[in-house]
Amino acid sequence: MTSSLTEPAAQDQLPGTENRPSGKGNGSQDGNPNLFRLLLKDRFATVSAVLLVLIGLTAVIGPALMGDLATKQNLLFANKAPFSLAHGWEYVLGSDSLGRSMLARLVVASRTTFSVAVPAVAVALAVGSLWGVWAGYHRGWRENVSMRIADVIMSFPSLLLAVVVLYVFSPSAGNIVLILALTRIPIYLRTARAESAELQSRTFVDAARTFGARPNAIIGRHVIPVVLPTLLTLATLEFCYVMLAESSLSFLGIGIQPPDVSWGLMVSQGRQYLQTAWWLSIFPGVAIVVTTIAANVLAAWLRIATDPAQRWRLALPRKRLIARIPVKEAKP
Amino acid sequence: MTSSSRVLSPAAVLKWPALAAGALLLLSGCSVANSASAPATAGGSLRVVLAQEPPTLEACESNLTSTGVVVRSNVTEPLIERNPTTGALEPLLATEWKATSDTEWTFKLREGVKFQDGTPFNAEAAAFTIDRAVNSKLGCNVEGYVFGDADLKVKAVDATTLTVTSPKPDPILPLRLSFLEIVPTTTSTTAKVREPVGTGPYKIEKWDAGQKITLSSWDGYWGKKPAYAKAEYQWRSESSVRAAMVTSGETDVALGLSPDDNVGDLAVDYPNNETVALRLEATKAPLTDIRVRQAVNYAIDKGGIVNSLYQGKHKVAAQLVPEGIVGHNSTLEAWPFDLDKAKSLVAAAKADGVDTSAQISLVVRNAQFPKVTELAQVLQEQLSQAGLNVKLKMLETSQQLTYQVRPFAEDEGAVALLIQHGNQAGDAAFTVDQYMLSTGAQSYFGTPEFDAKIKAADAASGEARKKSFEEVFAYQNDKLVQFAHISHQTGILGKSKSVNYTPNSSSGDELRVSEMTPAS
Amino acid sequence: MLIYLRKRIVSSALPLVVVIVGVFALARMTGNPAALYLPLNATQQMRDEFTARNGLDQPLLVQMADYFGGVLRLDFGQSLRTGQDAAAMALRAFPATLQLAATTMVLAVLLALVVGCWAALKPNGVADRISSFVSMAAASIPDFWLAIVGIWVFAITLGWLPTSGVSGAGAWVLPIATLLLRPFGVLVQIVRGSMVSALSEPYIKLARSRGAGELRVVTHHALRNAAAPALTVAGDLTVGLVNGAVVVETIFGWPGIGKLMIDSILQRDFAVLQAAVLLTAVAIFALNILIDMGYALLDARVRPVTARA
Repeated sequence: MTSSLTEPAAQDQLPGTENRPSGKGNGSQDGNPNLFRLLLKDRFATVSAVLLVLIGLTAVIGPALMGDLATKQNLLFANKAPFSLAHGWEYVLGSDSLGRSMLARLVVASRTTFSVAVPAVAVALAVGSLWGVWAGYHRGWRENVSMRIADVIMSFPSLLLAVVVLYVFSPSAGNIVLILALTRIPIYLRTARAESAELQSRTFVDAARTFGARPNAIIGRHVIPVVLPTLLTLATLEFCYVMLAESSLSFLGIGIQPPDVSWGLMVSQGRQYLQTAWWLSIFPGVAIVVTTIAANVLAAWLRIATDPAQRWRLALPRKRLIARIPVKEAKP
Repeated sequence: MTSSSRVLSPAAVLKWPALAAGALLLLSGCSVANSASAPATAGGSLRVVLAQEPPTLEACESNLTSTGVVVRSNVTEPLIERNPTTGALEPLLATEWKATSDTEWTFKLREGVKFQDGTPFNAEAAAFTIDRAVNSKLGCNVEGYVFGDADLKVKAVDATTLTVTSPKPDPILPLRLSFLEIVPTTTSTTAKVREPVGTGPYKIEKWDAGQKITLSSWDGYWGKKPAYAKAEYQWRSESSVRAAMVTSGETDVALGLSPDDNVGDLAVDYPNNETVALRLEATKAPLTDIRVRQAVNYAIDKGGIVNSLYQGKHKVAAQLVPEGIVGHNSTLEAWPFDLDKAKSLVAAAKADGVDTSAQISLVVRNAQFPKVTELAQVLQEQLSQAGLNVKLKMLETSQQLTYQVRPFAEDEGAVALLIQHGNQAGDAAFTVDQYMLSTGAQSYFGTPEFDAKIKAADAASGEARKKSFEEVFAYQNDKLVQFAHISHQTGILGKSKSVNYTPNSSSGDELRVSEMTPAS
Repeated sequence: MLIYLRKRIVSSALPLVVVIVGVFALARMTGNPAALYLPLNATQQMRDEFTARNGLDQPLLVQMADYFGGVLRLDFGQSLRTGQDAAAMALRAFPATLQLAATTMVLAVLLALVVGCWAALKPNGVADRISSFVSMAAASIPDFWLAIVGIWVFAITLGWLPTSGVSGAGAWVLPIATLLLRPFGVLVQIVRGSMVSALSEPYIKLARSRGAGELRVVTHHALRNAAAPALTVAGDLTVGLVNGAVVVETIFGWPGIGKLMIDSILQRDFAVLQAAVLLTAVAIFALNILIDMGYALLDARVRPVTARA
């Protein structure tokens, strides 16, 4: 195995969530190798990272490996149960209602799922947070107008947007990204605004202001680093939300449409077979849950690892950590 | 300004959301919570779960499946009724009828019938109903569905005699009239009525919008009193939930189940008169060439689809109407599944300069019937195998309709539209005029010769009518090939053991509660 | 506070108009409903009649002026589908969703506060691991799937609950459980996150050094600070519930506004869609005002040192 060599490279290509958190890590003074050693100390975080890398790799190169396996139908071979090698490795996760390999479809679906969820979250996070921090820092009319715009977007039925996009354009992954990103912007906007409004009256921001720092510099140097952990936690949760929203759209018949396939669509299409072929909806559901949990665990870890006030926790041996109540040693 | 004096107690922090939520609860009243119904027991009351709430119970829209299934033959009744099994017309509110001239029919009406509001049923009421549905500005759905633009002249000769005159000779006028549910003259002529009054065995007791409709048996009914005193309708859009309700005993009858809902021996199959087919847009390459259209027919493995997707319950189709419809041609055989032949036909067309690589859009309506998504993907795969360039487009209803009816939506290439056609009327004219005339609202093309054949069949009656329509179907398969037929569908109805009922081809459009009896 | 409230209400009027104008215009981009409401064999003449009868042949601006004229007279138009008054339909469906959303959110907030605080006491401890695993799993299960499995297990296999419907207390359990998971999962994460930060703030150490008990530290000092982000997120989640109980309402046959909205979108029932959107928008604006007031309250009182005294 050449894992030590390939892993960092793979992580870079990964469309998965850990890209953004690690971007933040670079901003602080921590060195990356240091962070990597810290990661290995935390079993859960390590497992999550490995899982995410695997899922990410699958999404990137998997579809090419599967070839036409994901679309090759065999009506006489429909709904074969999983966990049997009798029909070859392709059918180890069973076959779907048209006799296609579940494994291959899960792999191909992972790419669609990520190419919807990742851009949707990234766009909403970037736009919503910057806007919110800006609005919260300046307060006054900027804040008011921004919040009213957020209200407008929030009270606007996203389902209608989805139908409009479906009707006027075609139901492509790109359009679904657009809808999901647009409708999720207010979430970040409101949170960032609230945090930043609170921060802008704090002493250290005041101090920076009296020293004559420009608003954008203060926002960039003092406000964003403090707000970011909350926003990133939110973003990892949103990552899961977006996958689920995409699947709900499929359930309502206005999401990703066949022949495209995503995990959400698979769960939605498989629901009618729950009693006769449970694996059709359980496997993609498990894929969503596993990805989400891994992303969240890693994000939670990163949040601690990149926070100087919290980092010591990770450096401790596990046993002592559990017994310990974080009391007086808190801050260096 | 010390911090401690301004501290909110934790209870106060928690109180806010709780208070707000409590206030919301109060504000919103208890319209949902207090609707708890007494557990319905069999014998007195029959519980039915439908796929959707009827938009209205207006009698002149009862040709809509979701309305008709509640109203027809339960609340209101027509003059004449078509027996769904034999196809014969049977007397109901009219006891006899005959053609008294080329364009005029005379109906003898039943005596001693009253409406649920106490007014008598007579020729005046019948004439009123026809006028209201067909000749008014109400825009009744049944008008467009059964009568088109033609206005009818109606006359109440005396209390029990009615004459109806059509602008053109109409041999199936009585059949058309079987779609008109008779309402009393007290019914509004300026607005549609959500809760109609009729002559049927049940009257509408209560409609809890969004939740359920209750019908109760009406004492003044002219015919036999039905076995169930009440009928309660609810609706769930997920078929698995409807299946769950009949399994758990929360309902007695569940409509529209899917073969995978797995209700075991509670499932009752019945032919539902629906036919699934591809309609081919022969005015655009590559479907312009008849060989390509034939290839489409050869490439579809109808037997495989029926057996694998529909557990052998559907029947492979050779024409747009199933058995039991006047004009069904029982000698027609379905196109065999022959991929090699399909490939060679495509190759031959290509050799003659047809652009067989041009894209064909396979347009399919989302959730139109059970497993439509699976079927669509199978079709895409099988047509691609034959060497055609097929792109699957799953659309929602409104958008799909722009492809289904004239003026047809423009697409980047030729369209192969998946249609599900149900002939509720029992006569091939309702299919052929629509789908095969060169100007038909749902037809891509035709030929003058074929149009003439169809017109002749429309004007014929009796045995000649049957024969002419049979020829029409044969001719389309032979010379036009606008359609690639797939299957005649089978409906699945969930029925609890406590109910005796045998569904028939019209059960989905007209569920006659009076035909149901409690078991033992 | 009252001046603030009045200003907020006044400043919400314009966004409301924007929402309605947006919905109005977008809805009409989804095509003419004539084909949906007329039989398939309807002639062009019948379709034109239908379009004219419903005023859909007018230019968009004229239609919009007509609509707003009607709204000022409290006439929200008629449903194409049912022929009923659109506002009445929306008002009838709204309470069902509101009850569902309110109950769900109260439960979710209470549960999340308990679990989130518990987890934050020992970051990375066993309790923390378990609670975050459970809450993340809870938040990442597709709701419609869970609903169907729930029906299968609790209504069919075990027979404890009714499959669907609104009759009796039992019918509330599955819809609420299905709706609850996501807000609960998200809120646990948020509460835990802000509690961890709050617990490492200097004033907590101060409180601890003064000998305050652990429970008192958590509830009196840390929770107050942690409440602000939780409040914001809870508000957003509630908005999501009001707007998006669609799936749960569809599956359980719950006669709420989400189901009404998706039906009217798919059926191009414009008047009902607009009435439903207007009603939810008003509710959402009201909710946002409540959240902001709550936030202002926390903001003003919580901070131990007021910077701009």
